[in-house]
Amino acid sequence: MKRPYLKYISGLVLALSLVACQRPLQPSANLEETDVAVNQTIAADPAVEALVAPYRKEVTVKMSEVVGTAPVALGKGDYESPLGNFVVDLQLAQSEPIYGKPIDLSITTEGGLRVPLPQGNITTGHIFELMPFENEMVVLTLSGKAVQQLFDDAAARKIIYIGNATYTVANGKAQDIKIKGQPFDPNKSYTLLTSDYLAGGGDKLDMLKNPLKYEKLGLLLRDAIHQQIQQLTAAGKQVTAPAGKRVTVIP
Amino acid sequence: MKRRDFLKHTALGAAGISMLGMPFSAEAARDGIKLTILHTNDQHSRIDPFPDDGRKYGGMGGMARRATLIKSIRQQEPNVLLLDSGDIWQGTPYFNFFEGELEYKLMTQMGYDAATLGNHDFDIGLEGLQKQLPLAGFPFLTANYDFSNTILKGRFQPYKVFEKQGVRIGVFGLGIELDGLVSKNMYGETLYLDPVEKAREMVQVLWEQEKCHLVVCLSHLGYSYDNEKIDDRKLATQVSGIDLILGGHTHTFMDKPEVLRHENGHETMINQVGWSGLFLGRIDVTFSRKSKRRTDTRTAVLAVDNPVLTS
Repeated sequence: MKRPYLKYISGLVLALSLVACQRPLQPSANLEETDVAVNQTIAADPAVEALVAPYRKEVTVKMSEVVGTAPVALGKGDYESPLGNFVVDLQLAQSEPIYGKPIDLSITTEGGLRVPLPQGNITTGHIFELMPFENEMVVLTLSGKAVQQLFDDAAARKIIYIGNATYTVANGKAQDIKIKGQPFDPNKSYTLLTSDYLAGGGDKLDMLKNPLKYEKLGLLLRDAIHQQIQQLTAAGKQVTAPAGKRVTVIP
Repeated sequence: MKRRDFLKHTALGAAGISMLGMPFSAEAARDGIKLTILHTNDQHSRIDPFPDDGRKYGGMGGMARRATLIKSIRQQEPNVLLLDSGDIWQGTPYFNFFEGELEYKLMTQMGYDAATLGNHDFDIGLEGLQKQLPLAGFPFLTANYDFSNTILKGRFQPYKVFEKQGVRIGVFGLGIELDGLVSKNMYGETLYLDPVEKAREMVQVLWEQEKCHLVVCLSHLGYSYDNEKIDDRKLATQVSGIDLILGGHTHTFMDKPEVLRHENGHETMINQVGWSGLFLGRIDVTFSRKSKRRTDTRTAVLAVDNPVLTS
């Protein structure tokens, strides 16, 4: 480093530059305003507005696009429900082709499904309201113990909707659990399809947190719902709850 | 805001004058070269403001407003860099319907200088990224993703050097580990390389070969984790020589930028501005030539010094 010019610098600066790094240009940050609020006081830039306008219009049009129809509304309820059963079944229908093999169980929760599907026309906007989050489908491999905990939790809390299984609730406990028609074997491991949100401990499903295996499918739950309804419509079918009772509650 | 009362001035990079209680004089500011760094992270396709429906930050944000703000800052400041730390995509129907084209077009219109890739920028796969990249009039910088075995081979640079009035600013990008966060079919054969190792390499290159005066990292690693996972704070501690980390991923609203100091006196500042473009980050850096008389020797000093590596 060239020394001669240092004599021009004040003593303080010289001392500092020696203890710190010796830069020819010393950067110094002014932190008076480090996050500027982007709020209502700022006018919209007309050029940006002009570029956005046609897209915004198309978003509005697409959100009101009719994807399918439902003869009756699909709502939520305890243990199982028309909407819950519809969603856990379509999760399987849309995910298994991606996963490439059958999956044992499929779950969602009452709170995860934000609103019912209405009677009549179902629009893209309705599907976004039902599933506004970017939740992605994942396949978990769970121990028999974790699966037992899941059914116990479902029986106790009533908010977990389970596909591919039937069980009986007695005294708040799950009994007579059958998975794909076969009695549940606590010594076996099972694959379970759900969203990354629930798999990560959402809705306090702690038994899902440390699975034996965790596989992402790259499919958003909302897209799965959209595709299912599209496919039903293409096949000339309406959106209806799957037939059959899954949970028997002994009072 | 609270943060403004806290830290009016601090030094970047080295133990600085102002840090020790000697604020800039107006004269020094006039004499120095001022650089204004504007930054965003985790925009998440938030083109329009949040709906004003009583939610937190309702009515805030919006890219058209941000554009106005950036324009007015550009009119006031001589040297502006506009940067983004990733997750431009995913979060509104604009992305679902148009697969990111509007986001890139708007950022180009706003004059973004560079961005890095967040995990959600892989959400429509490498093919999707390939399709939209031509719409981005700014480079994506990434030093720790290796695309050699993918269709995006050669499409990204690890760093870029910007020159403003003779001040050289080196900007490089770091991305988060994709495994477990993004499905494999989306990122394909993209390799995630150790960000600490890559950052050390970048620091070396930018200071020694590129003779930069300021080194900025666009990071999508996340601000801070309780576990072993690498984050901006660990990066700042483990790698000496980064002046500024503009972070993302964790959607962190910071009360004030955090400054971490190394044993050798080098300081690294970390900032992150939440998400959705609710705030525009701003860091004003003044490069002081120390004395007017040295102005004419500046070139020589620049040429001779190994600027960063601390003494």
